[in-house]
Amino acid sequence: MKKYFPIIIISICLLNARELEIGSAIPNIDHRLFETKGEYLSLNDVKGKNGLLVIFSCNTCPWVVRWEDRYVTITEKYKNKGIGVIAINSNADQFDNKDSIEEMRNHAKNNNYNFPYVQDFGSKMAYAFGATRTPHIFLFDKNDTLVYRGAIDDNAKNAKKVKEPFLSDAISAMISGNPIEVSSTKALGCSIKFK
Amino acid sequence: MWKFYFLGMFFILNCNSFELKPITSDQILKEVDAYKGDKAVLVNIWATWCKPCIEEFPMILDLGKSEKKLKVFFVSADFLDNKIDVKNFLIEQGLEKKSFIKNQKDQSFIDGIHEDWTGALPFTILFAKNTGKVVDYWEGMKSKKEFLEAIKKSIQM
Repeated sequence: MKKYFPIIIISICLLNARELEIGSAIPNIDHRLFETKGEYLSLNDVKGKNGLLVIFSCNTCPWVVRWEDRYVTITEKYKNKGIGVIAINSNADQFDNKDSIEEMRNHAKNNNYNFPYVQDFGSKMAYAFGATRTPHIFLFDKNDTLVYRGAIDDNAKNAKKVKEPFLSDAISAMISGNPIEVSSTKALGCSIKFK
Repeated sequence: MWKFYFLGMFFILNCNSFELKPITSDQILKEVDAYKGDKAVLVNIWATWCKPCIEEFPMILDLGKSEKKLKVFFVSADFLDNKIDVKNFLIEQGLEKKSFIKNQKDQSFIDGIHEDWTGALPFTILFAKNTGKVVDYWEGMKSKKEFLEAIKKSIQM
């Protein structure tokens, strides 16, 4: 019985939280989130003139570790084209250890993050977005409307072997005013550790 | 001391007949279908680096042993280059013959298992004993009590 105790305590049904529908507005746009540099930021503060990319992420998930090089290259590629980028850590259950603000600060530094990385107390943003895993991507256009959600691309392991760069394609199409061909994708990821 | 350790590892890695079979979502559903009319089936999709998956694994394994009208399939979602770790973990847990590892692109694998699955791990899905239809599914961990309730329903349907 004792060995199952944590399972009973942390019983979670993530499917209760439905993924934000394409066409939805940015949820909790003015909710302030604590950033690794010691400031509070909202999505409204971060969004660019052409859109906002929200990445639900964390410090330790192996899928994040394999994909996060692309967080940086995509930000580099699009930040001068008016796209704001933010990574949100909603693993509230781990904020006193692996996902502490100090660990997040180290993680951001070690991985050359060129965008704000914030803590989501109470996993409020993850619940509002229906985010279930890390990484989990949400892209909004200049009108704050969700135009793409899901995966970064089709190859977590190797950026050079990507055949379907879903997110880059979506951002490029959005900026140039073309329709986004694939607006929703899925990939495996670590479940968010809701508190 | 180290000699014995390496000999032990050599034995585990090379002499064990445990099979870790690469599998697609269609093949999983075929395996499930083979039990229709005989047993309810629980499919648990997990990974070695997924902490909640590892925490609930022994409980699910125990349920598979104690519930005679239930068949449990574990499917690892680890990368294929992590096969040795997967195999070692399964052997440590006491699995003796065969288990599965995902061998398909994420999107088609996820949608092939169930369209409502977003891709978060662990993922558990139960199929009814008599009809073979999906009875329940969830992402993340659940308690033993909740597992038992879903299993009971799957065996009755």
